[in-house]
Amino acid sequence: MTQQSESSFRIIGHSVTRSDAEDKVRGKAQYLDDLPMPGVWYADVVRAPVPCGKLRGLHFDESFDWTQVVTVTPEDIPGENIVDMTGLDMPFLAFDQIQYQGEPLALIAAPSKALAREAVRHVRAEVEELPAIQSIQEMVERHKTGWADSLRLLEKKEIRRGDAEKVLADSGKVLEGEYWTGFQEQLYIEPQSMAAEPMEGGGVYIRGSIQCPYYVAPELMKALNLPLEKIRVEQTVTGGAFGGKEEFPTLPGGYCALLAMKAGRPVKMVYDRHEDILFTTKRHPSWTRYRTALAEDGSIAAMEVDMILDGGAYTTISPVVLYRGILHAALGYRCENVTVRGYVYASNSFPCGAFRGFGAPQAYWGLESHVEDLAEQAGLAPDDFRLKNCLQEGDVTPTGQHLLTSVGTPAVLKEALRRSDFHEKLARCDHGRPDAKSWYGIGVSFFAHGAGFTGDGEAKFGSRAAIELGRLSDGGPGLTIYASSTEMGQGAKTVLAQMAAEGAGLPFERVFYPLPDTRVVPDSGPTVASRTTMVVGNILYHAGHKMKRLLEETASKHCFGGASVRLEDGRFFAEGVAARLFEEVAEVLLAQGEPLRTEHQFVLPPHIRWDQEHFVGDAYPAYSWACNVAEVEVDPLTLRIHLRKITAVYDVGRIINPMLSIGQLQGGLVQTIGYALMESMQVRKGLYDANRLQTYIIPTALDVPEMDLHFLEYPCGELAPGAKGLGEITMNGLAPAIGNAIRRATGCSLRSIPMRPEDLYATLYQGAKDQ
Amino acid sequence: MNTITRTWVVNEVEQTVTFEGLRRLLDVLREDLRLTGVKEGCGEGECGACTVLINGEPVTSCIVPAVQVPEGAEILTVEGLEKLELGRRIQKAYIEKGSVQCGFCTPGMLMSSYALLSRNSRPTEQEIREAHAGNLCRCTGYEKIVDAVRAVADELERGTRSTV
Repeated sequence: MTQQSESSFRIIGHSVTRSDAEDKVRGKAQYLDDLPMPGVWYADVVRAPVPCGKLRGLHFDESFDWTQVVTVTPEDIPGENIVDMTGLDMPFLAFDQIQYQGEPLALIAAPSKALAREAVRHVRAEVEELPAIQSIQEMVERHKTGWADSLRLLEKKEIRRGDAEKVLADSGKVLEGEYWTGFQEQLYIEPQSMAAEPMEGGGVYIRGSIQCPYYVAPELMKALNLPLEKIRVEQTVTGGAFGGKEEFPTLPGGYCALLAMKAGRPVKMVYDRHEDILFTTKRHPSWTRYRTALAEDGSIAAMEVDMILDGGAYTTISPVVLYRGILHAALGYRCENVTVRGYVYASNSFPCGAFRGFGAPQAYWGLESHVEDLAEQAGLAPDDFRLKNCLQEGDVTPTGQHLLTSVGTPAVLKEALRRSDFHEKLARCDHGRPDAKSWYGIGVSFFAHGAGFTGDGEAKFGSRAAIELGRLSDGGPGLTIYASSTEMGQGAKTVLAQMAAEGAGLPFERVFYPLPDTRVVPDSGPTVASRTTMVVGNILYHAGHKMKRLLEETASKHCFGGASVRLEDGRFFAEGVAARLFEEVAEVLLAQGEPLRTEHQFVLPPHIRWDQEHFVGDAYPAYSWACNVAEVEVDPLTLRIHLRKITAVYDVGRIINPMLSIGQLQGGLVQTIGYALMESMQVRKGLYDANRLQTYIIPTALDVPEMDLHFLEYPCGELAPGAKGLGEITMNGLAPAIGNAIRRATGCSLRSIPMRPEDLYATLYQGAKDQ
Repeated sequence: MNTITRTWVVNEVEQTVTFEGLRRLLDVLREDLRLTGVKEGCGEGECGACTVLINGEPVTSCIVPAVQVPEGAEILTVEGLEKLELGRRIQKAYIEKGSVQCGFCTPGMLMSSYALLSRNSRPTEQEIREAHAGNLCRCTGYEKIVDAVRAVADELERGTRSTV
């Protein structure tokens, strides 16, 4: 039975202060570019001048003194000229085909940034330009008109339950809608920053601003022609990532490594913002088409979804983004007959990549916009339609997964509707009333997010982490965590230490989580997929418990004459003697000289079954659930859209740190305000048109509306202490809630985001008015 | 190359620097004075991560040529905040209110908070938001930053009342 939690934890569930906050407010936290690196040279990249073409040659201007710099061309790559990511289709340096404008052709390192840039200007690429694919509109057009074969298909996948095609064919009325989303730039405030230096005895030491230390080395092995253990990767303090530092840093990490190995000295590359926007990954543009048949009683009889993602020039992680996209595209409502087909096609722009939400925000823009049409057709209010049809405990998802534990629906929906007074406010919406001075509208969205790797991925991966007794930076004894999870602002450093400390029976202050270094930490997996608090937190909670037992046994032997000992909240208790402080006992244990270390490997509940080929079974170990309500006022004259209020209710399982959790939610929602209303870029003449902060507009402190945010806790009982995913679901549903509010304010439904006044104008006054 | 020598009071300490005429204030602070708390986020005065105060006025140091900073000017960076009562209060509030996530915008954000509160100890919500509108943050959604500034303002008001 699903229940809201009652907590009896000491540290979990409390807003302990972030362990990195003090260094950060004092300006003492050292990001990559702040680290002293004696003798460092600066990397720069010679980039392709056309989006698609054949490279005929590279010419190094003889008037330039090339002895001042080090260059790397494809011939200088010690191993294969390939980035070892999915698809194995991306070279480190293009040598024949050019697949996007800005694709690296050669690398240069110089003693100063200015000289490196100067050298780049003295290289000319001779190319034969070929026709390029530069927009998802073009892709969808070819897909729909039977010309898909003219596109490079990077991945396709299908989900089937029941027989949607048959029900749709037999149905008198099929509701159809097409929905579009554009690029989004992660816009972490610290730009991409990597450095590399040769190691004594061979190999290379790479550090930088990264999410996944254990991605970098295996992806570089082939190109560097080095065994894994000769590529050491360490995270430096990371100034935001949002997916943008998931798979991407392998590229600049590789550039620096190749140059450092050739130059025999440290090399670093810190992107300037212009370069960072132009030549890093973006959220995949998408197109979704929904075709749905309703039953007489207003339930959903069949739903068929087609989804296309623009993958950019190479495969990279697009297949995984597509999987998450299609797994969420029909996830929300009871339906026996569902087909979801997904495709990623290649285009001639920078490869798209990870971004918070990972395909799910695109899916829910489609689904939650489409549901408005379904409600209208059923003759039900949008809240009533959702309450009637939403998935609940015991229901079955499109992949056939039975929702049996920690199911926070319909609770989140009911609570958000109640808090926002939704139904009453619905009657006040203006629907584009001609005489109104301002158009008011309210909209709702309901959505989920699967936490962790898809299916039994976590079982196959087998993440590990360890805890060891030693000395902390204050000189006193304490526990050090060894894991590869990264702090990038979200608070992992703090919440993972909270869970380890809780398990170990020690105060939070006696547990420290340093930045991961692959030389010493086991692989606890990448810091992605809303998995870290749920999966790595679970590992460290158990490793903490093991440490507690180990400390009790060892303390019993060395300090309590073999008596039975309990460790609680930093004190050792034994029958008949006074309690002794952890610090005092730990000194004795440390003096013994034997290492006290515990490890734990993740165990996925064995009933989780997944068929990766057919996409059938338990798609995720657990789901988070949420409902967003948006209220807008639109100015009928200027069509300016004022977002007035957001009400959001989330079930993300057990809350480990309330203050950090609310911070994640606020940050994710504001990032989604940008996605929904502001952030716009297109590929024009090969490059993104919005390529600076002057043209790529993100929300400021003045763009944030009143927010009423609330958590309902339905802990994941099988994975103690019960957290589910939080990072990504913050981004999944606000765009359609705002779109639905604009629909009820203006009488006009927009089918693509971002939704700016000019988009509203085009829809209101240049045709394409709602139905 | 045209070199210039200036003496400034940086974080309450007199510092004499010699630099080439075209260098940015940001680079002189970070490279010559090793004040790496001052961050570069965009290099064009849009993100505010490099905000420092010159004679109490917030500026984005990435678009200020060092030569424009006059002899004797007082420069305050994030590293100098802890020397000042108001600076310490703001730092403490940022920690307690959860205003820090990745921390990269934090040094610039703190300087905008300091500039606001040093001239207006009772800002309205709108004034707080306007004073920080030149500092982009992608992590926090700004709410906890506004909370921290409000908390310090409330504290200052209570302090004023109790001494009246």
